[in-house]
Amino acid sequence: MTSDVVAAKVATDDRNLEVSEAPAWIAIVFFVSGFAALVYQVVWQRALFAIFGINTEAVTVVVTVFLLGLGVGSIVGGLFSRVVRHPLLLFAISEFGIAGFGLVSLDLFKRVGSNAFDLSPVATAITTFLLLLAPTLLMGMTLPLLVVYLVRQSGNVGRSMSLLYFVNTAGSGLASLAAVFLLMPRLGEHGSVRVAAFANFAVGVVVLAQHLRRRDEP
Amino acid sequence: MTYLALLGVVAFAGFISLSYEILWFRAFSFASGGSPTIFGQLLFFYLVGLAVGAFASRIFCRDRDATGDRRNLIPLAAFVYVANLLGFLVLPALAWFATTLRAPAAMPLVAIAAGSWGAVLPLVSHFGIAPNVLAGSRLSYLYLANILGAAAGTLLTGFVLLDRWTIGSAALFIVLLGLALAALLLARSASGRRLTTLGIAVIVLTGVGYAAETRPLFDRFYERLLTQHGYLPHGPASEVVENRDGVILVTPTHEVFGGGAYDGAISTSLESDKNMIVRAYGIAALHPAPQEVLMIGLSTGAWAQVIANLPGVEKLTVIEINRGYLQLIPRYPEVASVLQNPKVDIVIDDGRRWLAHHPQRTFDVIVSNTTFHWRANTTNLLSAEFLAAVRAHLKPGGIFHFNTTGSADAYKTAFTVFPHGLRFINFATVSDSPIVMDAGRWKRALDEHRIDGKPTLDSMLPDDRRRRDEVLALARTLDAPPVAYGLESRAHALSRIDERAGVITDDNMLPEWRGANEVSFPPHLDH
Repeated sequence: MTSDVVAAKVATDDRNLEVSEAPAWIAIVFFVSGFAALVYQVVWQRALFAIFGINTEAVTVVVTVFLLGLGVGSIVGGLFSRVVRHPLLLFAISEFGIAGFGLVSLDLFKRVGSNAFDLSPVATAITTFLLLLAPTLLMGMTLPLLVVYLVRQSGNVGRSMSLLYFVNTAGSGLASLAAVFLLMPRLGEHGSVRVAAFANFAVGVVVLAQHLRRRDEP
Repeated sequence: MTYLALLGVVAFAGFISLSYEILWFRAFSFASGGSPTIFGQLLFFYLVGLAVGAFASRIFCRDRDATGDRRNLIPLAAFVYVANLLGFLVLPALAWFATTLRAPAAMPLVAIAAGSWGAVLPLVSHFGIAPNVLAGSRLSYLYLANILGAAAGTLLTGFVLLDRWTIGSAALFIVLLGLALAALLLARSASGRRLTTLGIAVIVLTGVGYAAETRPLFDRFYERLLTQHGYLPHGPASEVVENRDGVILVTPTHEVFGGGAYDGAISTSLESDKNMIVRAYGIAALHPAPQEVLMIGLSTGAWAQVIANLPGVEKLTVIEINRGYLQLIPRYPEVASVLQNPKVDIVIDDGRRWLAHHPQRTFDVIVSNTTFHWRANTTNLLSAEFLAAVRAHLKPGGIFHFNTTGSADAYKTAFTVFPHGLRFINFATVSDSPIVMDAGRWKRALDEHRIDGKPTLDSMLPDDRRRRDEVLALARTLDAPPVAYGLESRAHALSRIDERAGVITDDNMLPEWRGANEVSFPPHLDH
């Protein structure tokens, strides 16, 4: 699809622009997706600190690896966004993938951690990176996929980006409070990641339904 | 401005914004004494700020295709300027609020500063990415650059700058970088010569002003953060050690605050016993022959000094997470010699990780003067999983002697995991074998105990003998009705622990989330 085609598809007045660039369901699902991502981040960091230590070196490795995973995911999502016809379908699959990983994550960390105590700092960093690569890659993919979906509708990169960034970050902001005042105190680590996995699964279902509804749209 | 240059801009912005977050977290965490919820609270304000800023940037994204329109660099420069103007001020404002209201009152300022950063990525995307099929992939590279910058922030600022500079110097460095970025963006914008000159003059003046005022703004910074905990910043200055591991503050009266929480006092004296060091001397009564001892946490070195000089101790291995204590200890004669003691081996590592890395090492006694149970990550040193790891490192008859800081959960966990034990003031002493409190052995140990050749209590002096007998009287409290400053059997303690107390696990992190539902044991104990 060329930029001319995109431009031709864009509605001409501002009102149409607002409607077409910001369907409420996208805002909601990306909010929930951001919420789940931060719950994972808080819980996984805690779990990994218990395994690899809470000294500065270990904490830096975990935080940096999490960021790098998101970055790699962003690139992968960007590459997919150029070739996939149905970014919503890929988005839904990503959410299902995150949910699946979330459910097994803590037990996986524990199992790997119990066999990784003798690793050097570099090997520990690599192990942590590999542990977090799959979920963070999937999380990082979501933004470019949704941006390209919205840009195809609105033709406005800045507004699409700002909307998605806003809702996703707001969801994460709410999760940062919920994680320490509600989820972890009441449900513990396992219960918290189950809540996050349920959120991802629900997002996946909604997005998949939207994809099925819209797949034949031009 | 080329796409490549924009990648640099967002990477730089990511680096600076995450560097601020690291500095803010250090300061807010210290002010809270290491509260487990402070990370979530700070992140909430930071992320909500980012989100609102991102949304607000839509005002400047009305044109559908503004690719390459350099007018868009004007608001971008303005947002970067405001982000830095306020980002730096968060820290002095926090210190001011800590001495006037409460430290959390500074949190909204975090949201405003972060809000300005939140506008950066959308504005750069709008300026640098055409709305075509490549938008997703081009955005992904911007996003990656932003994340790489942020990752560099964790490494450079968290690992290098904070290891070498004070928080004030690091904040000044970051703000000057940020202001330089704002000036660069303004210079490359289509703002016109007059506006550009005026804007850059304002930016330069801001930088010069901050450079000139950093010292007074950060004067007694950490002392002021402690004000709300009852510590007054007036009087002689405290000694502060800052490094990448954290912040240690020693007051003029030799009380130590690690990460903003009381962490003991530099004192080995049993005469005044202002830091209840009797709990360290008590090891001689609790174990018949403590030859090899492991201590998790060095802190001021007072405990290590006492334990290394207990009669019969041949080897003391100490695991400390913060290297800063090694800088402090030589400055205090009472504890300085512990670093030269050939029996003492100090390792800088995470205690739990060290245990996991050294499965072959076993000890007669493992000691942990654990920090307050309500602090972030203390679960790692109080949970049933940790106690199980400790158990694997105890020799037959070995004991684990650790500070519960009065947490009923910690006592319940210790007395559930181990079949034998007792409460020693606010410590739990547990073992797989029966523990015999031997007052006679303790008396001999106290009479023989010397630090740097000087008797701790000189049995030839009446006052010292009287004090020794007072200390020994503690052993008799085990068979008496329980008192807070005394000993209590495991069975008796278990029968008295509040039923709301639970076994701490890595999963439930009980003591960290109790908050107002705190369950103490024994009740009303002065920690």
